[in-house]
Amino acid sequence: MRGPAGQLRGRAARLARLMPTTGASTAARTPFVLLVVLLLGGGLITLLLLNSSLNAGSFKLSELKKQTTDLTDEQQALQRDVDNLSAPDALQHRARQLGMVPGGSPAFLNPDGKVSGVPSEADALPYAGPSALEAFPPVAPSLPASLAPSVSPSASPTDAAVSPSSSEGLTSADPSTTPSAPPVPSALSSSADALSTAPLPGPTSGTPTTPTTSGR
Amino acid sequence: MVSLGLTLVMLVFVVRLLQVQAVDASAYTAKAEKNRFTSVTLAAERGEITDRAGVALATSVDAHDITADPKMFTPEDSNVADAPEQAAALLAPILDKEAETLARQLSAPKSRFTVLAHRQTPQVWNQISDLKTVLAEKAEKARSAKGAKAPASVLAGVFQEPSSKRVYPNGDLAAGILGYVNAAGHGGGGVESMLDGKLSGQDGEITYAHSGGRRVPTADSEETPAVPGTDIELTIDRDIQWAAQRAIADQVQKSQADRGYVIVQNTRTGEVLAMANAPGFDPNDLSQTDGARMGNAALQDAFEPGSTSKVMSMAAVLEEKAAIPGTHVTVPNRLHRGDRLFKDDIDHPTWYLTLNGVLAKSSNIGTILATGQLGRTQPEANRVLHSYLRKFGIGSPSGLGYPGETQGILADPKDWSTSQQYTIPFGQGLSVNAMQAASVYSTIANGGVRIEPTLVRGTQGPDGLFTPAAAPKKTRVVSEKTAKTLATMLESVVFDEAGTGTKARIPGYRVAGKTGTANRVDPVTGRYKGYTASFAGFAPADDPQITVYCAIQNPTEGSYFGGQICGPIYKEVMEFALKSLQVPPTGRKSDPLPVEFTPGE
Repeated sequence: MRGPAGQLRGRAARLARLMPTTGASTAARTPFVLLVVLLLGGGLITLLLLNSSLNAGSFKLSELKKQTTDLTDEQQALQRDVDNLSAPDALQHRARQLGMVPGGSPAFLNPDGKVSGVPSEADALPYAGPSALEAFPPVAPSLPASLAPSVSPSASPTDAAVSPSSSEGLTSADPSTTPSAPPVPSALSSSADALSTAPLPGPTSGTPTTPTTSGR
Repeated sequence: MVSLGLTLVMLVFVVRLLQVQAVDASAYTAKAEKNRFTSVTLAAERGEITDRAGVALATSVDAHDITADPKMFTPEDSNVADAPEQAAALLAPILDKEAETLARQLSAPKSRFTVLAHRQTPQVWNQISDLKTVLAEKAEKARSAKGAKAPASVLAGVFQEPSSKRVYPNGDLAAGILGYVNAAGHGGGGVESMLDGKLSGQDGEITYAHSGGRRVPTADSEETPAVPGTDIELTIDRDIQWAAQRAIADQVQKSQADRGYVIVQNTRTGEVLAMANAPGFDPNDLSQTDGARMGNAALQDAFEPGSTSKVMSMAAVLEEKAAIPGTHVTVPNRLHRGDRLFKDDIDHPTWYLTLNGVLAKSSNIGTILATGQLGRTQPEANRVLHSYLRKFGIGSPSGLGYPGETQGILADPKDWSTSQQYTIPFGQGLSVNAMQAASVYSTIANGGVRIEPTLVRGTQGPDGLFTPAAAPKKTRVVSEKTAKTLATMLESVVFDEAGTGTKARIPGYRVAGKTGTANRVDPVTGRYKGYTASFAGFAPADDPQITVYCAIQNPTEGSYFGGQICGPIYKEVMEFALKSLQVPPTGRKSDPLPVEFTPGE
């Protein structure tokens, strides 16, 4: 095989003769060209991929941003609902609908069974009309549980102001009868303070003690 | 010739190239960037205001201003004859507005922008946007069927602009304290304005290259993130605030009074637990409110306190050792002093009272006689009394730093008029705001040390770090012994059958309190007309924790006596606060001081 210059004539041949025409360089050229082509092509493709992934990322970004906005909107809407339900006015209204009335002067049931303060029957009148208490009279102790999910913990002091009023069987906590009641775990009595409808588990369900007592 | 011409042309090109590339380069770069880059303000989220338990009292949520381009509703643009009316009929139920009003806005001639509704929830915009999509699809179908003359969507010209809305989740609860936010998003009153700098934070900005409205991800961008506002935690207890507000609002309505205030304060820390005004307002909807209601009257009204301020005169008398609680005071029916004939609130035969009885029966004459003992001469007695009034915080700002707060009026003793020097001991001729009046009782409850009232418990920055507010200033006003004696004397007001404050009794508790029924200066005419009924006190009397102050301005229906209309409010609010804060009665028996004495003993 002769050099390629040999097949050219005239000016081209003269130019070709200026180029080095060793066999070794001919052999090394092909891989070099391949390498350059590969590098260029690879770079181009990488750039393309990079660009498209960046663009895909940008689309994803705006999509996620929209999702964030939607979720924020939803969170704010739900928070608004929670706020509406846990506002003191709304709580009072619902408590009154359950038949609760504002309690009188504070009285405290101490762990040793003594009562400080002067307990009295709540004298405020319940709302007229069918009350929730009438709808479910026997499950009074479970009332706090059924209310708990809808009442925020911070709102509990509001409920301390209401005490039970039921048409029958409700007696005020009388110091002389208190010791005969079973020992009250302080946790229970403080939750009873939070929603003071919860009658203590007494010997008979008809005589719940404790309107506005707390575990002090 | 040709080459010369070519050279000249080339020269012109070169010069122009130099000008563009070198001389004016920066100007052109700036122009290019202006087109390529866009800057968007990143709005800082306004901080929350919470109560002492962290329950939000004021918070900011995302909102949308619903806007429209009236030009797009013209028959030429929309191909619909009554586009504004149709759009208004669709939007009216969603925006809760009158269809006619909306239609008028949408058919405004030669206008390209109108705001249909401010600060709507995202849900409202979602509804509109869904409706827009449906109508746009319909219009597209019509267009492909009938061509360019087909009617366009009637909602095509409705848009939104992101905005933010201040929400007060509890409505009018504590509205007087919180204040409100104006249209520009800055505090317009109350705590919102007092701490606006902290609440509003720092707006940020982002600059990025864009193409067709979309951000170019490969081009560099510059972002200054927004710094969210600081959250403010108030000393207010939401539930006590609610109880106070409800009690005072009911009574103000029942008494047909101008207004009323209740303040609940922790006696040991000076923290204000509640500050209620009636009538109040709903900061969520200022359009329904008249300006007169929008302040915080408990801090911004100055009024003559009347008999509740007698406790300061008694404090001076006891501290200066001019008398003891058992000192006999003979109180005639009328007393001539200066240019006036002084009398008590009721006509009575000559009373034989102890100093304790003077306070319990709230005798003006007895108080004048007792404070007369403060100095050898009347001017000296005036100076001594004045110094005590100042120490109790009368005539100086309460220390809350609240916008628009009044410091009341207390003249220098040398300027006291002939009658003023005899009326000031029983609380006429000087004026205070409700916070100052409450603070007097907290001082006595706190063993004679006055703690500046505080309304802000602390702040929580964007980094989540809670910074407690600076400790309030404490000053001793009277000795602990005097304070204890005064507390016992104040118990007589409530517990003695002859006392004026019997309606404030709380069964099981020892309660200290004082009634006040003052002649009120009509703010319009500047003359005495009507009354200010008030009641101040603390409980438990032997271990004070809570002070409650109540005042009602110009009650016109039923009783106007402080003990009759403010006493029950005091009882209601105090009971609620005792329950909320779980303060049990001390159980100690009170040791009542005598009220009267038998002459000749």
